[in-house]
Amino acid sequence: MIRPGIRRLFRLRLRRSDLVAQELDDEIQAHLALRAEQLEQQGLSPEAARAEALRRFGPVDEARRKLLRAAERRERRLGMRTWTAGIRQDLRYAWRSIVREPGFAAVVVVVIALGVGANATMFGIVDRLLLRGPEHVREPDRVARIHVTTHEPGEGSSTSGTFGYVTYTALRDGARSFERVAAYAMTERTLGSGEDAEEIPVGEATWDFFPLLGVRPAVGRFFSEAEDRPGDAQRVAVLGYGLWTRRYAADPAIVGRTITIDGLPYTVAGVAPKGFTGAELRRADLWRPMSLRHPAPDWQTTWNSLWLHIVARLKPGVTAEQASADATIAFRRAYTGDDAPMREARVSADPLYVDDDGGPSMEVAVSRWLVGVSFVVLLVACANVANLMIARAVRRRREVAVRLALGIARGRLVRLLLTESVLLAGLGGAAALLVVLFGGRLVRTTLLPDIEWISSPVNGRVLMVAAALTLLTGILTGLAPALQSDRRRLLTALHTGVREGGGRSSRTRAALAITQAAFSVVLLVGAGLFVRSLWNAYAIDLGVEPDQVVTVRASWPPQQADEALPEPFEETLQQRRDAFYQRALDRARSNPDVEHAALAIGVPFHSGFGVRLRVTGWDSIPALPGGGPYIQAVSAGYFATVGLQLLRGRVFDRSDHAGTEPVAIVNRTMARTLWPGGEAVGQCLRIGSGTDVPCARVVGIVEDAHRFSLREQPAMQYYIPFGQEQGIGGTMLLVRARSQPAAAVMESLRRELHDIDPTVLRLDVEPLQDRLDPQFRPWRLGAILIGVFGALALVIAAIGLYSLIAYMVAGRTHELGVRLALGAPTSDVLRLVLRRGLALAGGGVAVGVLLSLLIAPQIRELLFDTSPRDPLIYGAVAAVLLVAAGLASLVPARRAARVDPAVVLRSD
Amino acid sequence: MAAIPLMKGTLDLLVLKALSWTPMHGLEITNWLEHQSSGELSFDESGVYQALYRMEERGLIEAEWGVSDHNRRARYYEITPAGRRHLAAETRRLVRYGELVTGILTAPAKA
Repeated sequence: MIRPGIRRLFRLRLRRSDLVAQELDDEIQAHLALRAEQLEQQGLSPEAARAEALRRFGPVDEARRKLLRAAERRERRLGMRTWTAGIRQDLRYAWRSIVREPGFAAVVVVVIALGVGANATMFGIVDRLLLRGPEHVREPDRVARIHVTTHEPGEGSSTSGTFGYVTYTALRDGARSFERVAAYAMTERTLGSGEDAEEIPVGEATWDFFPLLGVRPAVGRFFSEAEDRPGDAQRVAVLGYGLWTRRYAADPAIVGRTITIDGLPYTVAGVAPKGFTGAELRRADLWRPMSLRHPAPDWQTTWNSLWLHIVARLKPGVTAEQASADATIAFRRAYTGDDAPMREARVSADPLYVDDDGGPSMEVAVSRWLVGVSFVVLLVACANVANLMIARAVRRRREVAVRLALGIARGRLVRLLLTESVLLAGLGGAAALLVVLFGGRLVRTTLLPDIEWISSPVNGRVLMVAAALTLLTGILTGLAPALQSDRRRLLTALHTGVREGGGRSSRTRAALAITQAAFSVVLLVGAGLFVRSLWNAYAIDLGVEPDQVVTVRASWPPQQADEALPEPFEETLQQRRDAFYQRALDRARSNPDVEHAALAIGVPFHSGFGVRLRVTGWDSIPALPGGGPYIQAVSAGYFATVGLQLLRGRVFDRSDHAGTEPVAIVNRTMARTLWPGGEAVGQCLRIGSGTDVPCARVVGIVEDAHRFSLREQPAMQYYIPFGQEQGIGGTMLLVRARSQPAAAVMESLRRELHDIDPTVLRLDVEPLQDRLDPQFRPWRLGAILIGVFGALALVIAAIGLYSLIAYMVAGRTHELGVRLALGAPTSDVLRLVLRRGLALAGGGVAVGVLLSLLIAPQIRELLFDTSPRDPLIYGAVAAVLLVAAGLASLVPARRAARVDPAVVLRSD
Repeated sequence: MAAIPLMKGTLDLLVLKALSWTPMHGLEITNWLEHQSSGELSFDESGVYQALYRMEERGLIEAEWGVSDHNRRARYYEITPAGRRHLAAETRRLVRYGELVTGILTAPAKA
């Protein structure tokens, strides 16, 4: 009477409320009908029996309402229970089938782990750089970073985020759309003394920096307005959390104690909370009041000293555009400097992550693209896994056909296959976390070493993204074979026993293989473009030769030059400095390892200066996109030391020093700009402000030199003899080594110069190249990471191609056996298989090249002097792919050639 | 004595007991209960179905549409192993309850 309950497991019962209601009505009707029958047998008439049955049942409508509710609840519960039981069963089955084919499962898990892992890693990076913003900033989207853009007609515009103190006060007092305005600068100072001394990153901030960001100290307090008063700044310090735990054992009693910075005593006012890095992402071990720094005597009012960055919190309801307009007005009203374009400058309130030159930093831009790249790798991985899944589905079609014959619903079958793929993907996702841990650390140390990372690469948000990607991968790769399970075809296949899976699956797999190859091509082309950029970047002519130069800089306690001193001390320190550097220069020159040595104020990749300049025939000096004109004071031998070429006239020699005739040397751009078509040598430069500035006679023209970065706009530069400078400071000793590497001479320099002046606090001897190297980082990183991703994609695609060809060969064993039996040479078989493989790869290359040609121009700004359509790179990538395809096809091809015709012909 | 109304919760057990013999449909259970109690227990016929749905939700019984003796379509209920366990435990409890209450109520008055 009862149908076996086992049938229920194979039926998908989709209960909706009307079905439930229908069933309930049926049951009630059945009850009444049976009761009526019973009563009829006892002698009642049909009508009477019916009436009596109704009476006995009770009020039907009311009962029906109550029963309906109960029935619906029943169905919900039962439905869920059946569903979960079904899922559990599916999981058990999926697990068993995975264990049955561990090789297949291993490959799938690894491929998914790499794809998902790469994506989760890059998400973690971009999350930190762009999405989350600096820690401990309240509502970071309401905090803006201020930039100024100047426009020189005919020369384009240039943007800068570096300002002077006067701009900060102008915006603070004049702009009405900001709740608060603050300024900060990042620098390095020496903490402690003697053996304990260490150089730490220090943040200098105005007192309102901390209230603006909305950060609360972990211990103690931040400095107050009274402690940051210009002219009366107090030496208080706020420790960074990391420094506090590392050096002071996280002792709360540190507040109020004294520490030594650059030889001076500072009182510790408090400790910043963990992970606080100000408005940027770089580590800051200590914070001190901005007013302690005096880059120039008139630092509060001059427009020529630029060293700080400005952030501002927008008032509620104010948009960035409104704030920018308001700030522009305030700036222009306050500007009293000489720079004409500045009077027309536009001030903008930009998001925090925008870098100093107005665009997202190189790291951000490269990271964004790496996200796209890793997504492509994920797609390749999915395509590969889907391919493998389809192949496996074809192997298992017998089993699937049996299930279908037993009556399993199509939906249930799809659910079963999806459970398998999601389970595999889940295992891959778990393994992906290992990839994230390792890869995240790798990317952090190579791409972003300066940034303070406050959590492990595997954090909550990354986990969520990884889980989502895993699920997506599982579903996508499971659908591929599921969509192939057409009931009729499978049943036919079951009957006929044909070995090869239908043409449809082969075509799909071929398409997937071509897709993987295409994506690999895109990635490899990207990597190639970055490698080329790196190559070009290294080859660029900087004018100077930083890889040959070593810089030496000394610093003294008790006072630095950038803090105000009573006059007599200032004199003494200045004399001491001059004496030191003179002796250092002499000693360096007498060192056999040294080819040239010179002193300079204003050194490439270190510092640049601009002072008031007047030239006959020009009302105001034209401003070039590169800024300037920049001035450097250099001693004799400078140009030989840095390798800057002389074009006309002469360089400085020993007879050019303080007290002798003021002379100058200009660079090529300056000569061309100020005296176009004429002769620069002999012209007059009036350097400095003041009424009676003497003429500095131009005696030579040198080549242009880069001042700060690899890519620069041309700018005017000029040089005056060391000792003739006024108003600029910061001497450095430059040394050119006789032999490579320049680093070797550093040791001997350190030893020799160490004992010239025992009051020297610290002697910094560094290769000049170290200042430049970080600039190569984005291309180096792009080349490495995209290269790794590209190689990964290539390997995955090759595996996919191999499995496809092998499967194809297995399916045609019979036919190949016949060919061989009929006398075809084995080379024919080889050629047949290889041709198929190369055809597929060729298709992939064609599609990939097309895609690359479309996408590559998008990254033009990221490249360095490289055309996105460079044919050399495309050709090389195509060759690599074809070779890889050839190798991948070779193994199954050889196996095909070794088929024994007799064996094959005998079997069916 | 007029028919005694069932106390809350006992209908479930009675229905379960009925099904412990053999699978039945709703009317069969109703008839069985009337027969077993000789009509002395009064209960709501629709209440039987409420009890059935409740227990089906809890997994104590399972339901399936079948065909009755006279080729009529009816929904049959069958007890599950979980239902049997529940019936045994609750029966013990109820019987014990009855003994205790009866014992207290029929104890001789204190002298």
